[in-house]
Amino acid sequence: MRLILALVALLPLPALADSTRSIVDEHILPGFAALAETTQTLQNTAAETCTRGDPLNTAYNAAFDAWITVSHLRFGPTEQEDRAFALAFWPDSRGATPKALSRLIANADPVAETADTYAEVSIAARGFFALEFLLYDAAFADQGDADYRCQLIQTITADIAAVSDAMQQDWQNDYAAKLIEPSADSPYRTPAEATQELFKALNTGLQFTSENRLGRPLGTFDKPRPNRAEARRSARSLRHVELSLTSLKSLALALAADAPDIQEKLDQRFTKAIDVAARVDDPSFAGVADPGTRIKVEALQSAVESIRQAVALDLGPHLGVSVGFNALDGD
Amino acid sequence: MIWGRIWASRSASTHLTAIDMATRRQLLAGLLATSLVPRHSWADAGNPAFLSAAGLPGGGYALCGISDALDVVFRIPLPARGHAAAAHPARAEAVAFARRPGTFALVIDCRSGKVLAKLQAPADRHFYGHGAFSADGTRLYTTENDYEAAEGRIGIWDVNAGYRRVGDISSGGIGPHDIKRLPGTETLVIANGGIETHPDSGRSKLNLPTMRPNLSYIEDRQITEQIELDTKLHRNSIRHLAVSKTSSVAFAMQWQGDKIDAPLLGVHKRGQAPRLATAPADDWRAMQGYAGSVAFSADGEQIALTSPRGGIVQFYDQRDATLQQTLQMADACGVAPTQDKLVITSGTGTIQTLSGQTVQNDDLLWDNHLIPV
Repeated sequence: MRLILALVALLPLPALADSTRSIVDEHILPGFAALAETTQTLQNTAAETCTRGDPLNTAYNAAFDAWITVSHLRFGPTEQEDRAFALAFWPDSRGATPKALSRLIANADPVAETADTYAEVSIAARGFFALEFLLYDAAFADQGDADYRCQLIQTITADIAAVSDAMQQDWQNDYAAKLIEPSADSPYRTPAEATQELFKALNTGLQFTSENRLGRPLGTFDKPRPNRAEARRSARSLRHVELSLTSLKSLALALAADAPDIQEKLDQRFTKAIDVAARVDDPSFAGVADPGTRIKVEALQSAVESIRQAVALDLGPHLGVSVGFNALDGD
Repeated sequence: MIWGRIWASRSASTHLTAIDMATRRQLLAGLLATSLVPRHSWADAGNPAFLSAAGLPGGGYALCGISDALDVVFRIPLPARGHAAAAHPARAEAVAFARRPGTFALVIDCRSGKVLAKLQAPADRHFYGHGAFSADGTRLYTTENDYEAAEGRIGIWDVNAGYRRVGDISSGGIGPHDIKRLPGTETLVIANGGIETHPDSGRSKLNLPTMRPNLSYIEDRQITEQIELDTKLHRNSIRHLAVSKTSSVAFAMQWQGDKIDAPLLGVHKRGQAPRLATAPADDWRAMQGYAGSVAFSADGEQIALTSPRGGIVQFYDQRDATLQQTLQMADACGVAPTQDKLVITSGTGTIQTLSGQTVQNDDLLWDNHLIPV
């Protein structure tokens, strides 16, 4: 981080977008540093023991937390080589992850011998959700050969760590500067384009939490879908909503740094949603068919929707992000 | 579902107003139109040259007819946001589709504003917002999502039986969006966008890492030709189509990822390899990865590609699909051929031809597509 600031200071600069710089320094870079660190710990832990339960579960949870915290930053290093999907293939509406894992296990496929070769397998067999099946799902507790399963766990964690490290390196050494300092050679030509990218990340992050993390398990009143909750096997579904709201809140408030009224409104709505989440006493959303639980999860979704509304109607116009009838919501 | 709810609660008085408005407009338009025309023909509806859905500045939505002179010749309220429409080849009937993931489409008599029929998507299906008629106008084809199976379907409707559903066939992929008929044939061409969605999660895209869009041709209910681009371009969702008089198919794409200079236009002729348009990287970049609509000019010489996000319209030479010129136009999206080559509509209410003729409608926000009648 010091290196980037030094570089920036040396250049003959146009006015920097202060909020972009503070978002990079305080939100993005620390987030990816934490991801690189926790996934390295996960890899090291799995190398020592691939037995279900602790300490492996603790390492898995810490690393998954770190990913969810930065998972809305779907641009630049995160999107290269489908890295984000390599870490988190979800939603998996066709059950591709368990199918791909079962196939590997049934064939004791040697592709799982190293993380390098594993990067070539179906993307559905990589990342945290594949690992979740191996660590938590009863169907994978004794499938195939125990040694092979162990190797698979070790290789998947090594792959997760390698992908995370690549993201962190690229952000640190290259992409942070591009975002902070737009230029003809950068993917961002103006500070406004950089701001637009961050706004888009906020917007799509909120959409993902509302429509997928909450919308998929909620289904409809007549057809609730508890089995579609994200990371339900490790009972992380609600936690992902909470982590994403906390992370998106810091991004939103930073984007609204020079508009105190909007910032306050966003602060209130995020705080409300986080409070509502705290009252949902159902970590895996297993109870969405139960009216008492369902009403709380629906209230949480409404609270997230009210954040989305403030972001679209207040923050977007303030940042000068295009709000054309077609541009905003095309098809 | 929203459409259905609002539709059910619509009051009778709103309906009467709609008819009054349409009648008044029709009378005005009638002054220009010949008096000896068969009933319910497009002349009765004020001879619109185009249809377009629109948003109203104070909320609310409409389906409008626009004449060659760019006047709005009718305006019919819609209960929810529309998308594209399909114009019957002879009768003054338009099918207005709710936008994705709508489950209703309304068949509207464009002369009276009356709803002649309501198309309801079957259980576990929704429409994508586009449809096409057979050459003789006896069949309507609709793009649909069988969302539990994640398969694209083409619904078939018997027009003369009051738009009764008579069956459906595979679209040849996931996420069929636009559908067109090749001129002088019953061959359908379908843009399978490749993106899986499910109404439980709104418009969220569920399969970006594995999506595989294609262009499919259907003859006599069978898929007879299918085009996929290079796997490097598997995130380029093929969404909208334009067909020339010589059956060249121009396809407009939307990039689903971070890359910013992917080509967003391709041209295909049956039996040949598809050709991707060429433009400098900066021009692709200016489109912001998103093409909204595509059209051939009336003389077939040019292809126009709109980007509301970039606020630009690009014009390509159809012979080699290279970029010729760019027009700046805020929120430009709808585009269609006209005598004056091409006409473009924008969410700001502007209608503009290539020669610079401009009509501004401050009370209408033109929606995604401009459909030639």
